[in-house]
Amino acid sequence: MRPRRAPARTVVTFIIRRLIGTVFLLIVVSMITFAIFFLIPKLAGQNAYQLASEYVGRNPTRSAILQVEAKLGLNDPIYLQYGRFLKGIVVGVHYRSGPSVTYCPPPCFGYSFRTGLPVWPQMVSDIPVTLSLAIGASILWLVGGVSIGVLSALRRGTLFDRFSMGVALAGVSLPIFFTGLIALELFSYKWPIFPNVQFVPFTQNPLLWARNLVLPWIVLAFLYAALYARLTRAGMLETMSEDYIRTARAKGLRERKVIFKHGLRAALTPIVTIFGMDLGLLLGGAIITEVTFSLHGLGLFTVEAVQNQDLPEILGVTMLAAFFIVIANLVVDILYAVVDPRVRH
Amino acid sequence: MPDTLLDVEDLHIHFPTDDGLVKAVDGISFRLDRGRTLGIVGESGSGKSVTSLGIMGLHHGTSARITGHIKLDGEELVGATPARIRELRGSRMAMIFQDPLSSLHPFYTVGSQIAEAYLVHNDVSKKVARAHAVDMLGRVGIPQPTTRADDYPHQFSGGMRQRAMIAMALSCDPELLIADEPTTALDVTVQAQILDLIWDLQQEYHSAVIIITHDLGVVAELSDDILVMYAGRMAEYGTAEEIFDDPGHPYTWGLLGSMPRLDQERLERLLPIKGTPPSLINVPAGCPFHPRCRYAELTDGRAQTEIPALREVAPGHLVACHLTSDQRRKAQAALAENAVEAPAAQLTQGEP
Amino acid sequence: MRRPRTFGLAALGAAAALALAACGGSSGGGGSSGTGSSSNASYNAGITSVVNPSTHKGGTLTFDWRAAPDSFDPGNTYYAADWDFARFYSMALMTYKNCPGACGKTLVPALATGPGVVSDKGLTWTYHIKPGIKFEDGTTVTSKDVKYAVERTFDRGVLPNGPSYFQVLLGGNAAKYPGPYKDRSKNLMGLTAIGTPNATTVVFHLAKPFSDFNYLVTIPQTAPVPPNKDTGAKYQLHPISTGPYKFQSYQLNKQAVLVPNTQWKQSTDPTVSQLASKIVVNMNMNPNDVDNRLIAGDAQVDFAGTGVQAAARAKILANPSLKANSDDPITGFGWFFYIDSKVAPFTNVDCRRAIEYAANHTTLQNAYGGPIAGGAIGSTVMPPTVTGYQKFDLYEATTKPNGDPAKAKQELKACGHPSGFSTGIAYRSDRPTETQGAQALQQALSQVGIKTTLHGYPSSTYYTNFAGVPKYMSSHNIGIAFGGWGADWPDGYGFLDELVNGNTIVPAGNTNIGQLNDPVVNNLFAKAAGLNNAAQRNAIWGQIDRQVMKDAVIVPIVYAKALIYRPSSLSNVYFQQAYQLNNYAVEGLKS
Repeated sequence: MRPRRAPARTVVTFIIRRLIGTVFLLIVVSMITFAIFFLIPKLAGQNAYQLASEYVGRNPTRSAILQVEAKLGLNDPIYLQYGRFLKGIVVGVHYRSGPSVTYCPPPCFGYSFRTGLPVWPQMVSDIPVTLSLAIGASILWLVGGVSIGVLSALRRGTLFDRFSMGVALAGVSLPIFFTGLIALELFSYKWPIFPNVQFVPFTQNPLLWARNLVLPWIVLAFLYAALYARLTRAGMLETMSEDYIRTARAKGLRERKVIFKHGLRAALTPIVTIFGMDLGLLLGGAIITEVTFSLHGLGLFTVEAVQNQDLPEILGVTMLAAFFIVIANLVVDILYAVVDPRVRH
Repeated sequence: MPDTLLDVEDLHIHFPTDDGLVKAVDGISFRLDRGRTLGIVGESGSGKSVTSLGIMGLHHGTSARITGHIKLDGEELVGATPARIRELRGSRMAMIFQDPLSSLHPFYTVGSQIAEAYLVHNDVSKKVARAHAVDMLGRVGIPQPTTRADDYPHQFSGGMRQRAMIAMALSCDPELLIADEPTTALDVTVQAQILDLIWDLQQEYHSAVIIITHDLGVVAELSDDILVMYAGRMAEYGTAEEIFDDPGHPYTWGLLGSMPRLDQERLERLLPIKGTPPSLINVPAGCPFHPRCRYAELTDGRAQTEIPALREVAPGHLVACHLTSDQRRKAQAALAENAVEAPAAQLTQGEP
Repeated sequence: MRRPRTFGLAALGAAAALALAACGGSSGGGGSSGTGSSSNASYNAGITSVVNPSTHKGGTLTFDWRAAPDSFDPGNTYYAADWDFARFYSMALMTYKNCPGACGKTLVPALATGPGVVSDKGLTWTYHIKPGIKFEDGTTVTSKDVKYAVERTFDRGVLPNGPSYFQVLLGGNAAKYPGPYKDRSKNLMGLTAIGTPNATTVVFHLAKPFSDFNYLVTIPQTAPVPPNKDTGAKYQLHPISTGPYKFQSYQLNKQAVLVPNTQWKQSTDPTVSQLASKIVVNMNMNPNDVDNRLIAGDAQVDFAGTGVQAAARAKILANPSLKANSDDPITGFGWFFYIDSKVAPFTNVDCRRAIEYAANHTTLQNAYGGPIAGGAIGSTVMPPTVTGYQKFDLYEATTKPNGDPAKAKQELKACGHPSGFSTGIAYRSDRPTETQGAQALQQALSQVGIKTTLHGYPSSTYYTNFAGVPKYMSSHNIGIAFGGWGADWPDGYGFLDELVNGNTIVPAGNTNIGQLNDPVVNNLFAKAAGLNNAAQRNAIWGQIDRQVMKDAVIVPIVYAKALIYRPSSLSNVYFQQAYQLNNYAVEGLKS
C-alpha cells in the first residue's frame, strides 16, 4: 500500500516557509536601501549638516539647517536611525509635527522629509492607479501576446508569422516614452479619441476609468505582448514537436484540441512563471508609463522620491515593491506546481 | 480474402526537402489478417516507422507525398479526407510508441488520458469514460487501478507506463494495433511481460498487430509474419518460421548473425553488419544493400546496376536479391556450419 | 446687498481701465458693468497689456504643473509660482499692483490698510490691518493671527521651506525664539519682536534698519493663520483661507481643487479676483503633456510659468495662431558665470576683465536656448525688469557679442599673463544649458590662450559642497562657476545683496561666488539700507551694478526669457514683473 501524503498540508507549510523567508528578505532590502542612501553621500564627503541643507528652503540660516538636521535625526548614528525605522514598522511612531502629537500606526514608514506628512497613506493612495494600469495591461498582453504566438507557431514561415514577429521585434525595441508620446500625440491631441487622459478612480466612474486607461494599457501591453508572442511561439514550436502530441493525434483528437489542450497547456508553464515576475515587478510601479501619461501611481511616486532625495519615501516604496515581487514569486511557484504535476512530487 | 484487415500495396512515402527528395518508403506491399501479427524489422532509417505512421495517417500536415494503396478492411486510406482518417484513428486502428514517458502528456493523469481516448469516439458521460479507463488499466495488469488512474505518468514505473499506453490504445477496441518499438525503452525482464500482455490482449480482442522493431528476438516470439525492410524497400517477407529457418536475404543473415541465440553454441563474437545505413536521398543504385554485402561481387555487377525484384523462393516467402538459389544455399550452409560468413571465394569454388 | 456688489464690479472695472490707461495698453474692455469680453491676443501682447480682459464669471480654471508645491502652507513655501498662486487663498500684508509692465512692481496694500509706518530710526514698522476681513470659517482676522503666522515659521523643524528673512532681521528675542510649538508662552504670543497693541495693529521691531521691509511683508509668511486651527505640518492640506478661494480637496502630490470662499469680499480685497467657479491644480504631470494640454485647451495655465518645452516651442513658433497666444517676456531671472576673485590669477582685476572680453556671448546665448528660449544677451547684473536697472555695457557684450579677443589679450598683458593661464570651470552637470555653456566658454577662452578644465557637479549639492564653498574653489583652482539668480522681490536689494555684498560671504552655501568684498559696494549697500526715499534708494542699485561690473566678478550671459503659452480661453492674462510670472490671481475663463 503506497502511503499518500496529504497535499494540502504540504502546500501550507510551503507557503509559511516562503513567507518567513519574505520577511527576512524585506529586512535585507531595507538595510541595503538605508546603506545606499547614507553611505554613498558619505563616501563623497558629505556630512549630516550638508545633507540636512537639502531639505530646507533656499539661503537658510545656520540654525534652520541645524533644526532640520535634528528633526530628521540625520546626525544620529546609522544603527539608531535604522532602529527607529524598524520600530516604526512594527510598533508605529509618535511624532510632533506642530502643536500636537500625532500617531502613525504600524506599518509606519515614517514621515516624508519634504512634506512632513506620513508616507504610508500616500503610497496606499497610489496603489490603485498602478494596480489598474498593471492588471489591465497584463490581461491585454497575455491574451494578445499568447494568441499571436500560437498563431505564428502554427503558421510558421508564412507571411503572418514573419509580419507578426517583425511587429514583435518593434514592440520589444521601441521604448515606452517613445510609443507613449506618439500615442498621446495621435490619439489624444491630433484626433481627440481619448481626450484629457487623466486617471479616474474605478469607484467613481468605471467607464471613464477604462477609457482614460486605454492608451497607457495599449502602450504598456505592446512592449510585453511582443515578448510574450515570441516566447509563446518558441514554446509552442517546441511543444508541438513533442511525442505526446503525436500520441494525441494518434488517439484521433481534433487538431484544435491537440493544439490547445495538449500543446498550449504545456507551452504555458514558462509563460506563467515569467508573467508572475513581470506582473510583480510592474505592481511596484510602471515608472516610465506613469511618467509619460502623468498617472499618479507608485512609479511616479518613486521618481519624485528619488528626485527629492526623500529617504522615508524611497524606503517605503522600495519595500513595497520588494514585497510585491516576493509575493508574485510565491504565487508563481504555487501556480507552477498546480500547472505542472511533475513539480509536486 | 474475407479475413484481410489491412492491405498495403506499392506504398511510397517521399519527403521533399532542401537537400533533395527523401524516399523514406519506396515500394512496400503486404497483407495482414485479423488475429495475426506482422513484425516489421530493420535498422533505424529503414522506413518502418514511417510506414506505420503512414498507415495511421499521421503524415497529414507534413510535406509527405504518399502514393500507393492502404486499405483498412477494404476502405482506401490514401487520399481519404483527414476527418475520416481521424475517425478511424484510435477507434479502429491504434498505435503505441517507443517511449511511454515522453509519449504520455505529463500534465494530465493517466486515467484522464485514457478516458479522453475513449471520449473522442464514444458519446458517453465523463463518469462512464473514467470507469472504462479504470477497467482498461485493470485489464493490462496494473494493480489498484482506481487509485492509479489518478496518478501522473511520471509516477509510474517504465513497464507500468507502457501498460497504460497499451490500455489507452486498446480502449476503443481497435481492430489494428501498431506497436512501434514497444519494448526498446524497457528493461529486459519487463520486456517479456509487455510482450506477453500484447499476446494475451490480441487473443482476447482478436485484433491484428504490427510490431515494429530492430530486435529480432522480439519478433521471434510474437510474429506470425515478418517483413524485413532496408532503405525504404522490402528485403524479405515471409512467415516467422521461414525467416528464421531459411532466411534468404544477406541482410537478414547479417541481422541473424549479429543476434545472440540460445539455440546455438556460443560464438566467439557477434558479427555486426559492416557499414552504415544508406542515405535515403541518395539510395545506392541497383540493390541498396550492395555496398555492405559480401556477396555483391558474385552477381556480375548486377547488384550495382539493377534493382532486384522480389522473387518467391518458397510459397509465401519473398526475397529481393540477385543471388541464385544455389549461391544462397551454399552461403547458408557455410553460415550454419561455422557460424562465420563464408568468404565469397569459397562459394564460387563450389566447395561446401 | 446688491449695491456693494455692483460697487465692487464697478471698482474692478474702473481699476482695470485705469491700469490699462496707465500702462498705455490698447483695446477697450472693462467698463463699469456687464460681462463684456474681447480678444486682443497677439504675440507678446501679454508683456505690455492685459490679454482677453473679461469680467465673465464661471467655469473651471485648470492649472497643470510638472512638479508639486514644496507646500501650499503659505508659511512654508519658497517657489515664486507658489507665492503667486497663494494669493488665491491668502492675504499677505502687502502685495503688488495688478498691471503689466513696470507698474506691476509697485507695492500696494493687501491685508494692510497702507504701507508700513516707519519710526524709531527705521527700527519699527507699524501696519494696520483692514477691519472685517474674515477667514473662510467666518471668524474675523486680528493682528494676533498675523503675529502667529510669522511666529510659526520660526520652527524650522516643522516648517523648513520658507525664507529666513524674519529670523535674521527681527529684533527682540527673535534670535532665540523656538516657535510656538515649543514655546509655552501665554496665548502662544512669545515672539517679542512683534507687538499687537490692538486687534488691527501689528508692530514689527527690527534688529537694524531695513528700508525694503514693505517688500518683505508681501511674502505669504505674513498671511494670517488662526492659532486654534494650526495643525503644523498638516496645515498645508487645508490652509484656512482669507482669499477669494478655499480648498475643497487636496490629494497630496496629485490634485487640489479650490472653490469660491463665500466669506471673501471683493470690496476689501481689490487686488485679486473671484471669477472661475472652480480651480483645479494637477500636479506631477509630464511637462510635454502639460504643453499639449494647454494647446488642446484641456488646461489653461502652466503653473510653473517658466515656459514651454522644446517640442511645444517649435510647434508654437511655427504656427501663427498658436504664436499669437504666446508671450516671450524677460522674466527677471539672470544667468551668469562668476569669477572667483580669491582664486589666482583672478586676484588681479585685469585677468578678470580679460574673461569679460574673451567670452563669446553669442555661443553662450545659444547654449542657453537662443534668443527666445534662453534670453537676451546681458551686459549688467540686474535684468531690465528689476527696479533700479540701469543700462550700460562695459565690455562690449551687446556691441561685439562674439567677443573681443584683441582687448582680452591686452588685459592679459596688463595682468601679467600675456600668453594666458589655466583654471577650472564649475557647472551643474544635470543642466544641459550650463553643460553646453561651459563648453562654449572653454572654446572661447582657448582662443586667447586661457586653458580650462571642466568640473561638473550635481545641482543638489552645487552650492552646499562645491561652488558655494570658497575653500573648495581655491583648493581645486576653480576660478569660474556658472549659476543664476532671481530676486525674491523686484528691486536691486533683492537681486544684488546676496550676490555681491561683502557681508554675505559664508564658508558653505555661499552665493557671493565672486567673493567680492569691495568697500565701495559694501558702503553703497549700507547707505541704501538707511534711505527711506524710494527714488534715492533705487538710484543706488544701479551704481552698485556698475561698480560690480567694473570689478568684473560677474559675467552676465542672458536676461532669461520664457516662452509662455496662454490659451485663448484664459482671461485677464499678462506678465507680472514682480512675480516673474503671469499674474494668476486675476485670471478666469473668457467665456
